[in-house]
Amino acid sequence: MQINERTVAQGTILDVVGDLTYANRGIFKAAVEKAKQAGCRHLIVNLEQVRFVDSAGLGLLVLVSQNFKLLQARLSMLKPQRYVLEIMSLANIPKLIPVYEREEDALNMRAA
Amino acid sequence: MILHSTQPIGQTGGLSAETQASASTILLVEDDLVTRAGMAARLRRLGYRVLEAENGLVALDVARRERPDLYIVDWMMPEMDGPTFCESARRDPLLKSSQILLMTAHDRPAQIAEGLARGADDFLSKSASKQEIVARVLAGLRASRLVRELETTGNDLASSLLLLQERQEETEADLQSAAAFVRSLLPPQGSPVHGTSLAWEYQPSLTLGGDLFGVMAVDADHLGLYILDASGHGVAAALRSASLMTFLRVENVIQLLGSYNPQKVLLEANRRFPLSDEGEYFTLWVGQLHLPTGRLSYASAGHSGALLSSAQNSSQWLRCASSPLGFDLSATFANEHISLKPGDRLFLLSDGIYEVSSSSGELWGRERFQAVIDGEKQASLSTTIATCFSKARSWQQASHFSDDAAVVGLELTDGREGRGNG
Repeated sequence: MQINERTVAQGTILDVVGDLTYANRGIFKAAVEKAKQAGCRHLIVNLEQVRFVDSAGLGLLVLVSQNFKLLQARLSMLKPQRYVLEIMSLANIPKLIPVYEREEDALNMRAA
Repeated sequence: MILHSTQPIGQTGGLSAETQASASTILLVEDDLVTRAGMAARLRRLGYRVLEAENGLVALDVARRERPDLYIVDWMMPEMDGPTFCESARRDPLLKSSQILLMTAHDRPAQIAEGLARGADDFLSKSASKQEIVARVLAGLRASRLVRELETTGNDLASSLLLLQERQEETEADLQSAAAFVRSLLPPQGSPVHGTSLAWEYQPSLTLGGDLFGVMAVDADHLGLYILDASGHGVAAALRSASLMTFLRVENVIQLLGSYNPQKVLLEANRRFPLSDEGEYFTLWVGQLHLPTGRLSYASAGHSGALLSSAQNSSQWLRCASSPLGFDLSATFANEHISLKPGDRLFLLSDGIYEVSSSSGELWGRERFQAVIDGEKQASLSTTIATCFSKARSWQQASHFSDDAAVVGLELTDGREGRGNG
């Protein structure tokens, strides 16, 4: 898995490439921690290039969401692939973490 | 006959501080008594402990007993000459790393090449000056020290490795024991209650698995079922699963909640098993089957691994969107109901069975799993489940699963034997 970080005026975007799984959790946690330490108020996880998220990956997303809420910050997800969205929907994750189809909408926090 | 001196004389004769500090042992192997005595005296004056031997055969005995730091060996000797001694020493596990100076009257290149090829480390001319002898002996001893340090380090590493292997074996034995215990908690295959048939196959990704299941009689009319999936792998996940499994025991649930109502079980489990600090959690599917009517009540906390295979119709997934345990403490869970008829089969499965990738990265997926179930209706439960595992393994071209893989099958037999079972 590879994560590229982009900082924009409204927050930080993590472009994730690869699978978000138990095996890759360290890379994801490190990227989130870095954004948190930099004072990020809105973290957007771009899942467009993520083909698969396992149960550990889902747990991480929810944990990050809860931690950001405690910091008065927020987490959003961007453009998940169909199968990934299906997995997340079965776990009710879109009710906990907003999902956007367009980067502009995520940045402006406009529901898709 | 072995001639040897046991103590260095202690005269330095201009020797360096490095040499003075040590009392290195040198084995001098020379058949000519006069030459040997002269060289031995010279070495003793330099502060070394000198052992003497008259040929290679005698020298091998002394060497094995005394393990000298350096050997100065004459080329030409009766019984066993210098090069043959070198070869013998290199073959001997005790002596193979010895530092050997081969002493010659000549220093022809061909002879030197032969000596080196047969195991000598360096050469010393019989006509060498005192300075040259000192220099070559020092160089030989330096090399000897380094070799011995390497040997010591190697021995230490070997001991550490052995210790690690022993610890690893102990840990592995502990894990096997724990795995056997967890396996003993799984329901026995066969007929859990009259009118049902149960079969399952379970392959944890590691020694200890975190995806577990249960099928047990709640009372005379009800059968309780569940399958849980712990996020993550390994010992931590297995321990958390065992904890949830303990909570899900019929006696415990009845005592806490008064019934095995799936909705209530999930609500209580959601309260008791929050998301961990590492983002670990459970998904859980719980069902209760009313045996006289075949009515199945079920609820899910993010677990989508329940498939009903009807004898007459296509199979259908028993799932609904819901939060896994601990994601949302205010989450509610609703009971769903469906009727099972004799011949119907209920499959509970972990996602590890179908989330396996081919060499091109394509997932086997739920649809292919479902197709196997639909295509195996005439086969016995155990055969159907074995086929699922076989197809999944074939898809990923590996027998080992990267996630825990479990498939549990329950068939309503209405008192008859299941299809092809038994």
